[in-house]
Amino acid sequence: MRERVTLEPAYLLNRRPYQDSSLLLEAYTRQYGRVGLVARGARGPKSKLRGVLQPFTPLLLGWAGGGDLGTLQGAEAVGPPLPLSGERVFFGWYLNELLIRLVARADPHPPLFEAYALALQQLPDDAELAQDALRIFEKTLLAELGYGLLLPDGIDPQAHYRYDGERGARPVPGPEPGSYAGASLAALRDEHFANASERGDARRLLRDAIAPLLGGRSLETPRLLREMRSKADKIPDS
Amino acid sequence: MSLYSPRLTRLIDALRRLPGVGPKSAQRMAFHLLDRDRDAARLLATALDDALSGIARCPDCRMFKEDDECRYCGPARRQSGQLCVVEGPADLVAIEQGTPFRGRYFVLMGRLSPLDGMGPDELGLPRLAETLGEGDVQELIIATNPTVEGEATAYYLAEMAKSRGIRVTRIAHGVPMGGELEYVDGGTLSHALSGRQPV
Repeated sequence: MRERVTLEPAYLLNRRPYQDSSLLLEAYTRQYGRVGLVARGARGPKSKLRGVLQPFTPLLLGWAGGGDLGTLQGAEAVGPPLPLSGERVFFGWYLNELLIRLVARADPHPPLFEAYALALQQLPDDAELAQDALRIFEKTLLAELGYGLLLPDGIDPQAHYRYDGERGARPVPGPEPGSYAGASLAALRDEHFANASERGDARRLLRDAIAPLLGGRSLETPRLLREMRSKADKIPDS
Repeated sequence: MSLYSPRLTRLIDALRRLPGVGPKSAQRMAFHLLDRDRDAARLLATALDDALSGIARCPDCRMFKEDDECRYCGPARRQSGQLCVVEGPADLVAIEQGTPFRGRYFVLMGRLSPLDGMGPDELGLPRLAETLGEGDVQELIIATNPTVEGEATAYYLAEMAKSRGIRVTRIAHGVPMGGELEYVDGGTLSHALSGRQPV
């Protein structure tokens, strides 16, 4: 079935050169989920789309075609690209990689699209807000995929818990390796983090919850960021 | 059964490996070389063979080189104290042809892009770090493309140079010569405005 879509809100997740002057785009759209598109001639020297087809820019896309790959027919930016620089670009890439790895093509989740747009807007903010935006996006992503976190209302901030994906949070007598402080679980449930330990716990819990969904192949972006950080630290010594 | 004889099939398949050459163009090229211009065909064959055996990559700048001494890494260029980082060989040639810059270069052969598996090692950054450590680079000029990937690459390069106390500059982006503001996209224009200079 051939369909025609016009002016659909979207963000580009990735793009790569295709044939001589075209681009292969991976876009995340509000109503159609993740779609693969060919932008014919977009790499040509006279293409007006070159400046527009950038990641982290709110776009309106039009395309035609069903099946695996549609043909891009129009693209316009509805706002300036988000001012991501330095490490924050890696944060943005991380969101993109999560969507590419975990969300199937043509599986729309409008709330996830909104969460993505919101998270991107918060990435240029201060370091803690940017981290929090990643956590909240990860939590929304899990919920939309049907692996929502099980964090009941009755969590005691003073108590300690273990967490696993099937049974959720279970109280344990005291702190033990791998356990979480009740305050951290409550913070993650309410999406409001007060300190570094709550942020660290949320990061650990979400990482453990996402890992089994990746099918044994770890994410590239965090690995690269770790590698770059470790090299940057080493540079002054050499 | 193939349309052509075995040797002709091989020639056409080989020509099709060139960028922008499809089956029809490859057939046209093959017939032209065999029928009209056999001398050119021989020339092409020897030139290709020569190039393959005689051209390697310079270990210092990663550009193609064929003499023992790389033409972009000579002592005169070293003396300028400037090193310009570009994404690909075509970028180097563009700067060399279009600008008076005569310093050294470093060709990344790509840009940072984790989703495509391009990291610091793929870009040869350990080698660049060694060059920066030798002490005769006073200014690192970053000429990566103004894309998200180019920005991230620039950031990483800048960190590498700053940690060694080397001055880092980035080429300006903005309105092209002879261009009209009206037709320039918003992103470029906002870059141009934020990078404005006193007159």
